[in-house]
Amino acid sequence: MSTKGINYISRRDFMKLGLAAGGAAGALTLGSKRLRAMEQDLGGTDYSSMTGAEREAIPFTCLACNIEDGGVAYVENGRVVKLEGNMDHPNTRGKLCAKGNAGFLHVYDPDRIMTPLVRTGARGEGKWKRISYDEATTLLATKLKEVIDRAEAEHDPGIRNEIVFKWGRDRTGGAVQRFMHTLGSNAMLNHTNVCESSKKVGLEPSWGPDIESCDWANTKYIINFGSNILETAYFMNPNAQRLVDGVVGNKAKLVSFDVRMSNTSGFADEAFYPFPGSDGAIALAMAHVIMNEGLYDEDFIRDWTNVTSKQLIDHLKPYTPEYAEQESGMSARDIRRIAREFATTKPATTFSYRGPCKHVYGSYQEAAIHMLNVITGNVEKKGGYCLPRGMGWPQPEPVPHGPATPSPIATPPLYPLASHHVSTNAPYMIMKGEAKVSVWMTYYDNPVYTYPSSHVWESFLKDEKQVPFLVSFSPYMSETTELSDLIIPDVTYLERHDPESMPGGLYPCLSIRQPVIKPLGGTQEFRQTLIDTIHKLDQDGSMGMRKYFAFNTVEDWMRAHFDNIPGLKEEGGYNFLKKKGVWPIYGKVDPETAKIVDRNNNEVEPDYELYKSELSSGDMQGADVGNHGTIRKGDHSIGVRVDGKNYVGFGTPSRKIELYKDSYKKYGFNPLPVYKPLPSRSKKDSELVLTTYKVNVHTQSRTASVKYLAELYHKNPAWINPKTASARGINDGDLIRVTSKLGYLVTRAHVTEGIHPEVVAISTACGHSAYGRLAQLKQREAAAEWAQGGDPDVSHNVWWNDKGVHPNPIIQLAIDPIGGSQGWYDTVVTVAKAEAGDKYGDVKVSVEQSLKDYEETLRYAYTGDIHRSNHKEVDVDWDNLPKPELHGSSH
Amino acid sequence: MQTEQVVEKVSTTVTIDDEIEAQRARAGLFQLAGRCLEEEVDSELLMLLRGDLRLPLAEAGFNLDADFYSVPETELLETLAVEYTGLFVAPGGLSPYASVFETGAMYREACDRAVAAYRKAGWDYKHLLSGEFPDHIGTMLSFVGVLANAEADALEKGDHQAAQQWAEQRIQFLLKEIGSWAPSWCQRAAAAALHPFYQNILALTEQLLWTELAASADRRQLRELAQLNRREPRKLDYDADFRKASGL
Repeated sequence: MSTKGINYISRRDFMKLGLAAGGAAGALTLGSKRLRAMEQDLGGTDYSSMTGAEREAIPFTCLACNIEDGGVAYVENGRVVKLEGNMDHPNTRGKLCAKGNAGFLHVYDPDRIMTPLVRTGARGEGKWKRISYDEATTLLATKLKEVIDRAEAEHDPGIRNEIVFKWGRDRTGGAVQRFMHTLGSNAMLNHTNVCESSKKVGLEPSWGPDIESCDWANTKYIINFGSNILETAYFMNPNAQRLVDGVVGNKAKLVSFDVRMSNTSGFADEAFYPFPGSDGAIALAMAHVIMNEGLYDEDFIRDWTNVTSKQLIDHLKPYTPEYAEQESGMSARDIRRIAREFATTKPATTFSYRGPCKHVYGSYQEAAIHMLNVITGNVEKKGGYCLPRGMGWPQPEPVPHGPATPSPIATPPLYPLASHHVSTNAPYMIMKGEAKVSVWMTYYDNPVYTYPSSHVWESFLKDEKQVPFLVSFSPYMSETTELSDLIIPDVTYLERHDPESMPGGLYPCLSIRQPVIKPLGGTQEFRQTLIDTIHKLDQDGSMGMRKYFAFNTVEDWMRAHFDNIPGLKEEGGYNFLKKKGVWPIYGKVDPETAKIVDRNNNEVEPDYELYKSELSSGDMQGADVGNHGTIRKGDHSIGVRVDGKNYVGFGTPSRKIELYKDSYKKYGFNPLPVYKPLPSRSKKDSELVLTTYKVNVHTQSRTASVKYLAELYHKNPAWINPKTASARGINDGDLIRVTSKLGYLVTRAHVTEGIHPEVVAISTACGHSAYGRLAQLKQREAAAEWAQGGDPDVSHNVWWNDKGVHPNPIIQLAIDPIGGSQGWYDTVVTVAKAEAGDKYGDVKVSVEQSLKDYEETLRYAYTGDIHRSNHKEVDVDWDNLPKPELHGSSH
Repeated sequence: MQTEQVVEKVSTTVTIDDEIEAQRARAGLFQLAGRCLEEEVDSELLMLLRGDLRLPLAEAGFNLDADFYSVPETELLETLAVEYTGLFVAPGGLSPYASVFETGAMYREACDRAVAAYRKAGWDYKHLLSGEFPDHIGTMLSFVGVLANAEADALEKGDHQAAQQWAEQRIQFLLKEIGSWAPSWCQRAAAAALHPFYQNILALTEQLLWTELAASADRRQLRELAQLNRREPRKLDYDADFRKASGL
């Protein structure tokens, strides 16, 4: 039968027709053009899956790691339900990494410390009593006042330096410094020497800032030295996006050097595996080729550096590609080829991170890599090697002055060039009686886990004679926090205020961290804790401290940062940042190209050649121009005259790039980039070099308890090359002993071709003994089965029972005498099959041996005998090097 | 006829008095358990435990050694505070929140449901110390006590309709918000407790809850609740040591 001309259609016919329609070539034209998958939108709005109601969107700045990406938190019924990238952020362009996306789990983690705790048992025993924030800040103020009163009574302001503040990640925008300077102490220690301090000290004396910001998207050639750009390096999220833009979108060639097959090396056109710490030799050999073959940019070297091309050619003479081959294992032929390609492909850039700089003499290696960009004239070019671009913000007035008495642990006299502290050395110096501690405060820091020879920190912080009062501001019970006497928990980064400006791309911007929800359960943000502590310490203002913390609310403090910045002020200051999260708004993200575009869909180009900004006539009033063109006003250089024009230049005394560093030479270091073979280079054939690496879903220490991330990555077997493994009778998955001079650990072997045959690599982020149930896998320990908090997700869904093994205890202290960096990749080890009785996770190490390492590494410092024998080429009066002295109040 | 009426009247009077007494007792028990679990023992509570409640607790099976009644008050309060913090406050302990038991995260929907129930009864929640939420087991148990008292008050006023409403609220709260997790939580907490006071109060609370649940739920409901309370950590059924280490 037919109805309206259509025959009866059986179910079978319907199926046939449906499948034909669905499978037709033009089937995509069918269906509604109005319905869109929500996830295909570029962000900015989100809806409840239960009610369909639009969720409240609040911008924030991420602090899951240190990259400070722009984010938007979606809040439903007062709870953070989802995080995503802020589309208005010009550098992170609406994207967060895995750590950022999982960040809201920090907030609701039942292992979070939600109330101040005061220790009641022995230090580290785990016995606590809860107290209120009010009681906690009163106790802290009392302890601080004892030190200050003693300093006053003894008329010795240096006693105030017994108040020590150590942080791992301080993104408070000046709050910690304000607090410490208010207390009159210079004893501030960051974590930078376990991070990239030698990179900074390799770069800063040369061109001013501490890192490069490559114009990846517009480049044509990239050499990556020891950086895992796509997964973990500095500015990972923005850099990874732009690297892909460059390699895929702009057909740039990527050459990568790493001892391990990272995902960046895997993505590269060419990947090489040099011997650890030989990047400098390769870079110098490339410079040798470029200079000797006349591939350099003579004009740039002449106008914008403090050296001549002839000087460089002479200096680079010993660094032939053959020499570099001998040191690195990379063929001289490849070195020549890549040097030529790099010099002749325009624009080009290098990028480097911890691979080269985390060695003794890492500063030289960084300086050598930096030099490649300078001699080829790629500095500040579109597609080249650019200066980082950030923005500042004012500190609320009045600002406390830095105290006059320097702290030996903040500015160790034996490391005068290490402008980013040498925090690894603090416990050794204190144990030797070179400094004293009364109150030690720790913030976003976990040295008992994250530092080399981490057992030394445990031993030091457990010792009440060395550290009489230990305060932690951590919201998590880390390996360090569990040793504290007092815990005043901060909130998570989604519940607090900070000003931010990270040079994560070529668009300078300010951003804000603001509470996307009220601090959970009445917890208190760190900034408020500082205000309360100072108010209790100086109740009536008679101590002259209270005026520096005269904020009624934390918001007042933030307004003082943001409300008077020209440009931002006109747009609403703090209120604008609260609404948008970032300032300025450069444009929008083009959905096709992902570039920042204006209203007419034209790309908003970043500014280039910043050093060529011309000084105004006002700037020049009262200025003098010196012999080398440096323009000075009073004691400061403000620019440089080149070809009759007055430019702002670079952030150095001469306002040119100072490849020749007088500051290095003063202490007997080579003023030009050199390569110094490390002790690991002359290891025995049977030995290996131990390296560590970060993974893309974890920070060093703080994310192991985050469910999503712990599930993705939780164990860290030692990567070992098949040839190396075979020679030792090791198979994939075998239990192995990795032994350094300090002792040994027992882990498993991951046999893979993706590792240098003379290297064994173990990742960080695993093997916690604290930091919560997931980090410790407590629920797998029968005795602690009750301690699951009844969490069904942890109880039922944790399918893994391997938390990994932490490598840091067997890593030896080894300090770059220039930049002060820890030589993370300088520890020589033996690797063998585990011995009878060895258990997975066993770690046995010696504090005594670590103390010997400290003495050994001092021999590399500028006063040491090894320094002198390693720098015979330096023309300096060796018998009259500057005497070690406390050099400045603080860095 | 008249006699029968009198008997009936007397009987009704006795029943209501019994019921009032039962509700007061119920309120007392829940508020005792709630107070002991909601925060640390203070001087006032300790005085009660060592004084008026000493004998009734002992008769109920509380097994506290002589020390509990003899050590100086300050010392005992300190010991109990440390035990309380280790058990219920510091990380690594047993989270006392329904949200955590249900979802593994703090401050989830269980909080909203608890607050809604409190408000329906004319109460609101305000934390005193940081890190406290409305779905704390101590607060929830105390709330059952509040409802029982309200029922008793209504009965005393002869308002049977109101009493019935309070009773329904109490039973619903007990069944929906407490019954599915709190008894086994008490059991685990009692096993984890090191101090006899907490071992005892948690064991008592578990018993109290089962007794109340048995009185409030039908057999099917009770079976379901028992099933939910038996939730145990799942054991791995493989030897992870054998897992290929390179299975990254």
